[in-house]
Amino acid sequence: MSSMISDMDSATTQLILPELLMLGGILAMILVPNFGNATMRIPLTSIQIPILFGGTRFATTNNPKLPNQIAMTTLALAFMTSLLFLGEEGEVGNSLHVDEFSRIFTLVFTAALLLASLATTARLPARPKASAPLDTDSIASSDAKVNALIDNRRQVDFHILLLTTGLGMSLMAMATNLFMLFVCLELASMSSYILVAFHKETDVGGEAGTKYFIVGSVVSAIGIYGMSLLYLWNGSLDMADLAASWDAMEGMDPLATIGVGLMLVAFGFKVGAAPFHLAVPDAYAGASSPVAGVLATASKAMGFVALIRILLVVTMPSTGQAFWFLTLAIVAVVTMTWGNLAALTSDNPKRVLAYSSVAHAGYMLAAIAAIGSGLADSDMSTLIVTAVVFHLVVLVLFKLGAFLILSMLEAEGKGHKMEDLHGLGRRDPVIAASMFVFMLSLAGVPPLSGFLSKLLMINGIVNVSAGTSSASAATALSWAQGVDPVFWLAVAIVLNSALSLFYYLRIGLVMFFEPPVTDSPLKRTPSLRMAIIACAVLTLLFGIGPLSNSLLDMVGSAVDSFMGS
Amino acid sequence: MGGERLIDDPLSVITLVPLAMGLILMILPRVLPNSSAEGLIQVSRNISMGVALAIATMTTMLFLGQVGSIDWTNITQGGYVLQNEAVDLIPAIGVTWKVGADALSFPMIWLTAILIPISMLVEWDAKRGHLFFPLLLVMEGALLGVFVVLDLFVFYVFWELTLIPMFLLILLWGGEDRRYAAMKFFIYTFTASVFMLIGILVMYFHTETIAGLGSLSGHHFDLVAMTAQENLIPSEGLRHFVWLLLLIGFATKMPSVPVHTWLPDAHVQAPTAGSMLLAGVMLKMGAYGFLRISVTVFPESTIVFVPLLIFLGMVSLVYGAWVCMGQTNLKRMVAYSSVSHMGLIFLGIATMQPLGFAGALFMMFAHGIISPLLFAVAGAFKHHYHTLEIGSMRGIAHHSPWLAAHMMLGWMASLGLPLLAGFVAEIAILIAFWMTYGWLVLLPALTLIVTAAYYLNSMQRTIFESNDPEQGILPDTLHGEDPSDLTWHENAGMLTLAAMTALFGIMPFIFWDMMSNWSSGFVIDTMIEAMQTQEWSP
Repeated sequence: MSSMISDMDSATTQLILPELLMLGGILAMILVPNFGNATMRIPLTSIQIPILFGGTRFATTNNPKLPNQIAMTTLALAFMTSLLFLGEEGEVGNSLHVDEFSRIFTLVFTAALLLASLATTARLPARPKASAPLDTDSIASSDAKVNALIDNRRQVDFHILLLTTGLGMSLMAMATNLFMLFVCLELASMSSYILVAFHKETDVGGEAGTKYFIVGSVVSAIGIYGMSLLYLWNGSLDMADLAASWDAMEGMDPLATIGVGLMLVAFGFKVGAAPFHLAVPDAYAGASSPVAGVLATASKAMGFVALIRILLVVTMPSTGQAFWFLTLAIVAVVTMTWGNLAALTSDNPKRVLAYSSVAHAGYMLAAIAAIGSGLADSDMSTLIVTAVVFHLVVLVLFKLGAFLILSMLEAEGKGHKMEDLHGLGRRDPVIAASMFVFMLSLAGVPPLSGFLSKLLMINGIVNVSAGTSSASAATALSWAQGVDPVFWLAVAIVLNSALSLFYYLRIGLVMFFEPPVTDSPLKRTPSLRMAIIACAVLTLLFGIGPLSNSLLDMVGSAVDSFMGS
Repeated sequence: MGGERLIDDPLSVITLVPLAMGLILMILPRVLPNSSAEGLIQVSRNISMGVALAIATMTTMLFLGQVGSIDWTNITQGGYVLQNEAVDLIPAIGVTWKVGADALSFPMIWLTAILIPISMLVEWDAKRGHLFFPLLLVMEGALLGVFVVLDLFVFYVFWELTLIPMFLLILLWGGEDRRYAAMKFFIYTFTASVFMLIGILVMYFHTETIAGLGSLSGHHFDLVAMTAQENLIPSEGLRHFVWLLLLIGFATKMPSVPVHTWLPDAHVQAPTAGSMLLAGVMLKMGAYGFLRISVTVFPESTIVFVPLLIFLGMVSLVYGAWVCMGQTNLKRMVAYSSVSHMGLIFLGIATMQPLGFAGALFMMFAHGIISPLLFAVAGAFKHHYHTLEIGSMRGIAHHSPWLAAHMMLGWMASLGLPLLAGFVAEIAILIAFWMTYGWLVLLPALTLIVTAAYYLNSMQRTIFESNDPEQGILPDTLHGEDPSDLTWHENAGMLTLAAMTALFGIMPFIFWDMMSNWSSGFVIDTMIEAMQTQEWSP
């Protein structure tokens, strides 16, 4: 690490500028609130320059919203720099490779975290006039003052954790070495465990965090064990090395296969694939909505980067079926069906969204499984990966958007029962309409972006299976018997989407049909409202028209750069 | 859009302008502060009416050939007029903005453009007018979109888009049980259209790449190219399966028995303008989609499923008429008569005769004028007598002569009185049916006659008969007040519809030539070939 920093030239700096910014943000978050108000007068003038170190601490920087502002600025800057330097490509050290593919994911991560920190502004209590208790204070007032100080302190904790999550995820997306990949993954995961448990005022918050932490640690341990087996087999954890050894391998080396299998368990947990998804609904329901939104979008995207790298870079044979094809296909179908059935029976909107997130993981796994069938040529594989990455990108808009709306309800102590959504259409038509758009997009209704990504995935699978059945089949049944099994993945996605319509529509319709519990309008949070409306508009614009096309082009060229290498 | 584009591409204009104007009018009052409610309603109403009238004028001028100078009577299947240059919407998956009209869609386009200002006029004093009239404009754009686009993706989007304004119309301006009705309406039609979407997707995955379309996916949604593609779905079994999926979507919208149950509820609860548009245009979307996609792209499957069509048509016709006779609620009665008439459209198609096709097309149009008249009457009855129970009233003619006149005319037209629009369609379909299936025609014919007799009797009592020549019997809901006759705007709207009913009854050739020409071309070019491959003969 030290050598890396010392040989860092300007080109490298530019390559990892978003990550450096996030690192700077973390440092600033620690330093800035501690700055003093000491000033220095420039000799012979009356100009006072603040020198920050010294003087009375907190006097100028006691604004408890400061960490939030720093986090938002940092994430916004990181987002913009990744967008600006999207096309840059190069190595950093020998375990990070920056290219468009990893940058697309940095965009996803920073956008999701930015929205989450925006929503947090209205959620975490901040006490602008907090002061230390005095000796003369009564016990009660001294407790209140201490609590106010603790609240302000938690602002810093929360936002530092958001930034470390972002940093871990972003570095993870560019890792070319499994070890590096795992370290970054853990940095992000550890931070997210605490974020989940951060909602400690409620009973479920702590429980959810603990559960998520325990399951997550066990699963990580399994993944690391798998990685150690791979190391034993190959002697190096560099992915290019691993891929070369895998190609040269004759038959199936049990060490390697078991190693990869165990790693898939770890990543399967991250994306919420059945049967490792059981902690997901609890974690989402216990966490505050913005954090749950991050888990459902950024964290899931992170898991998919790892999966794509392991499955498609390392273990995809140049011809024939991959060994994981059948397993992954079954896992995908079970995941989406389980997720949808569980969502149908849930009565907590956050759990519904959690299960819907499980179902979406199933759709994406099915698409990846189709590549493993060995029938796909490189064009088809590129199309499928593009579809998956596009889905992960637009998911930030409509999945996180829905969580942001739940966050608005949570701010008034609601959002855990379906009844809390009742009559939202009357209380706030614009927000309700946005929620309706998000639900339709999650369900995959044209022309929203959720449809476009789902269509591309189904299209990819269908293209893979095209021509495997006889054209002259006289009945639909005999046609179906002839088609390659991979085709049924597409059917599974379609049937599951149809099934999922019911619970999405339920959320969409209770907002308009049921009478509201209260008539009071929602708490005024202009910036969050703007963010939600922007998400809704972008959900439409990324689904049809020129903007969707440029996003598809961007993702497509990123995937090209990834698949080509 | 510049002036030149406007003339070049009138169909896009009539679709997008009302959509945009409707949305602007709905959003603007939220942005503008301090606008007084009353003034706002007036401005909003006048602008909406202006836009709607402008579009009606434009469509009429298109038809009369003053714009674009088109020879409407010589349009054959595939020969779309007023086509635009396709604009790419999502080139990666082959979605384009492509519009065009032919003899199948143009009568529907004109009908929509005419019905919107009429329904606005009938509900000129609607509550919350600053939302009501713009919503009707949005509705107009969505409906026109369904009829003009030639790209299945965009078609589906407009198809679903029509749900939202109608859903809001029922929910915000509906009657007592509006929540239930709106929910039922939405869930039925939405679920059905999911089947249709799956069908469309299967078609999509069988298309071949054409220049520049579907750069990523390798497929496209272009309906014209799909129709032109030889043997779109090679597997016969899969083709039939897709045909059935599409049928679920279209039959629910039409609606045909057994998926018709949303219609009576939606009609009873919807406001007058909503009912008029629902019956007048939205039901036709089902028939239009069926002809445009199912029949045109899969003629062989249509031939194979002719028995199913006859069955559905007969059941809808007989069952609809039968249930209709048992209704005491005026709107419910009209709703079931719609089910019955839509059954005739399936029968017309099942004849596989040019005359039957043309009859089905004319039925779509004629029912589109008559049923709005009936719902306008029902709405006015509700408005002035505060009830929809027809049994509770005797001698309307005495109290509300205008209402009675329109009611009578509407019913006569609906029953197929000669010289009114409905007759032309019914007789054409029945003759064609006789030509193909012989004496089986007795079932629909007798049903029509029996129900006609029944209605005439019940109308005679409701409208004319009264025990007391001074008073008649007034419904309890009036609480002893005197009922009033139609207001000027209701009367104006209904008079227009009544005049159109008579006009197209006496001079059906205005649209008939176009329809019959298209139908013969279609049957000769497409259906005959399909009949030969399927070795089908009536």
